[in-house]
Amino acid sequence: MKKKAIDFSVITRSKITWAVVAEILILLVCFIIRPDFFSISIQPSTGVLYGSLIDILNRSAEITIIAMGMTLAIALGGTDLSVGALVAVSGAMALKLMRWDVLEYSTPGDYTVYPFWMAILLPLLTCMLMGLFNGILISKGGMQPFIATLILMVSGRGIAQILTNGKQFTTMYSPFRVIGQGHLGPIPMPIIIMTVVCIAMAVFVRKTAFGTFVESVGVNKSASRLSGISSDTVIIIVYTLTGLLAGIAGLIYSSRIMSNDSNNAGINYEMDAILAVVIGGTAMTGGKFSLIGTIIGSIIIRTIVTFVYYFGIVAEATMAFKALIIAVVIILQSEPVREYFARRSEKRALQG
Amino acid sequence: MNKTSSKKQSLLSRLMNPKYIMVYATVAIFLIIYLFGAINYGDKGFLSLRTLIISMFTENAYYGISAVGMTMVLITGGIDLSVGAVSALTGMIIAYGVAIMNLPPMLCLLFALVIGVGLGLLMGAGIHYLNVPPFIMTLTGMFLTRGICSLMSRESIEINNELIDALAGFKIYIKWWNEDGEWAKIKPICYINFNFILFIVMIIIGTILLQRTRFGRNVYAIGGNEQSAKLMGLPVARTKILVYGFNGFCSVLAGFAYVLYVKSGWNLALQGGELEVITCAVIGGTLMTGGVGYMVGTLFGVLLKSAIPALITFNGNLLSWWGKIATGALLLLFIFIQRVVVVYSNRKKQE
Repeated sequence: MKKKAIDFSVITRSKITWAVVAEILILLVCFIIRPDFFSISIQPSTGVLYGSLIDILNRSAEITIIAMGMTLAIALGGTDLSVGALVAVSGAMALKLMRWDVLEYSTPGDYTVYPFWMAILLPLLTCMLMGLFNGILISKGGMQPFIATLILMVSGRGIAQILTNGKQFTTMYSPFRVIGQGHLGPIPMPIIIMTVVCIAMAVFVRKTAFGTFVESVGVNKSASRLSGISSDTVIIIVYTLTGLLAGIAGLIYSSRIMSNDSNNAGINYEMDAILAVVIGGTAMTGGKFSLIGTIIGSIIIRTIVTFVYYFGIVAEATMAFKALIIAVVIILQSEPVREYFARRSEKRALQG
Repeated sequence: MNKTSSKKQSLLSRLMNPKYIMVYATVAIFLIIYLFGAINYGDKGFLSLRTLIISMFTENAYYGISAVGMTMVLITGGIDLSVGAVSALTGMIIAYGVAIMNLPPMLCLLFALVIGVGLGLLMGAGIHYLNVPPFIMTLTGMFLTRGICSLMSRESIEINNELIDALAGFKIYIKWWNEDGEWAKIKPICYINFNFILFIVMIIIGTILLQRTRFGRNVYAIGGNEQSAKLMGLPVARTKILVYGFNGFCSVLAGFAYVLYVKSGWNLALQGGELEVITCAVIGGTLMTGGVGYMVGTLFGVLLKSAIPALITFNGNLLSWWGKIATGALLLLFIFIQRVVVVYSNRKKQE
């Protein structure tokens, strides 16, 4: 009896629990209103899995990928506001390389001007360099992450526009289409990319000492330096990684629409990613982080959006629903409330 | 502050106080940019009063009004991401009330004020009592407000109202003696409108609140060190909540100024406006870590930020996207100056 009560307090104290509970509740509401919400079928013409749950996973790919990097940035006690702008830069760069602005390539078609590997790698490299810039400003420059990344957030979209001369290119190059719209077997490609990124991150962070370094720097930068961790290197690696992941998300985004959209690509992505991380139970103050929590947080955000679409509510009103659910999760996760629950379960344990 | 000692200091030595360095840097860089414009585009009319008042003050007045509240929030060490959305909501409430429900605009403004200030107080309470990071709390507020805007209407609503028209059309022309010795409107025509006046009044109110009241001193104390402020017995909870309430007030007024500027309400108006406002405050010398910032700096921050698009317009050959990049570069420059000042003053303290 006593043991059970202690287990209960561990569960209520964990921040992920509330995220999972919230996700289950939303899905339950969906299920009650539309019993076919959970049905997954295979589309006969293409052989791809099809259904709301698959759609949620598919569409959450960009935010999940970005939020993976964001988790580390937040665990360091910082944030990265530039990711949304980097999504735009990555897309603009890729489209620019595929549709170089010369007369003979003026109509979109199934071709690429520069080789495909270049159109994929150069945008990623650019985003990594921009992430590196953020990292250097924060570590060597000693700036606040919020402000340091605000610089690229403000100017990033400008850079994306300059890259394409303010034009919007479209392409029909089929290998590029695979990234966002293709599938491997029955599974949509974005889900595969997302899974690979998540597993790679988990291995990189948990199977090496890097995750511990990040947590240590996030708790106390100077103490970590004194114990032999090069804080600056850790910070630079994390922000470079965040840039790279934003670049990958940008390629997926622009492949979905087969075009670059410097004004709207990745708008509010930084906010969504930060929310995903926070809902997932990683504190903004830095320190401990949870990658699984972040994945759940990102899926919650996408579930809300799908929920709103499904029930014919005005699409822009998604934000209000997001806000309400996030407010509930935040209140449940806040220190005073968790302390209250912990105290109550302790009392129950004593009584039992 | 110690009155006797400050009286003894001469005005000059008081102005030389290192805590004003950031404000001086903002003013200096504004002057440099202005001079650059004057040398390059002076013949095209960059030097005219019209450029200064209309393209630098009036067209960005709503950002400036909002920046007054934001400066105060930043000084407490917090942040408010909901300002753009609250301004848009104000526009929606006024447009919806006037155009669809036929209510007098001032009643709608009053209602918007109640909502804006109420939301600000609520967010402040959440930040203080629930210990939610300001970033997340106000982000939720932003999502909520934007969502409500969209629920009200997805399309922009035009406002046709005599009072709004009268306020928007209110102009005091600046006059001077012309060549014939007559008292006439100067050329190119230049005027002061309601938004300009509101902006200046808000800057003055903000300055008085920050520099001359107990509330303002509490704001600086909390930004300097919240723990010590609490130990000193200052009303930390009340001050923090009121600061967010005041910011809500400023955002609603900014929204009203925006309504006068565009004469319509739109659910996606001023998207990303919160970052423009934060940028204004930061290039005005307000430290994001809290404890440092002046309204005069913010005033020049707004001017500096709007001088860049003005320069690009006068150049005529540059794409307007360069404006964003230039703003980013300006931010970088300012943060560097701030770092240098902070490091230098720390070193001085250690000696």
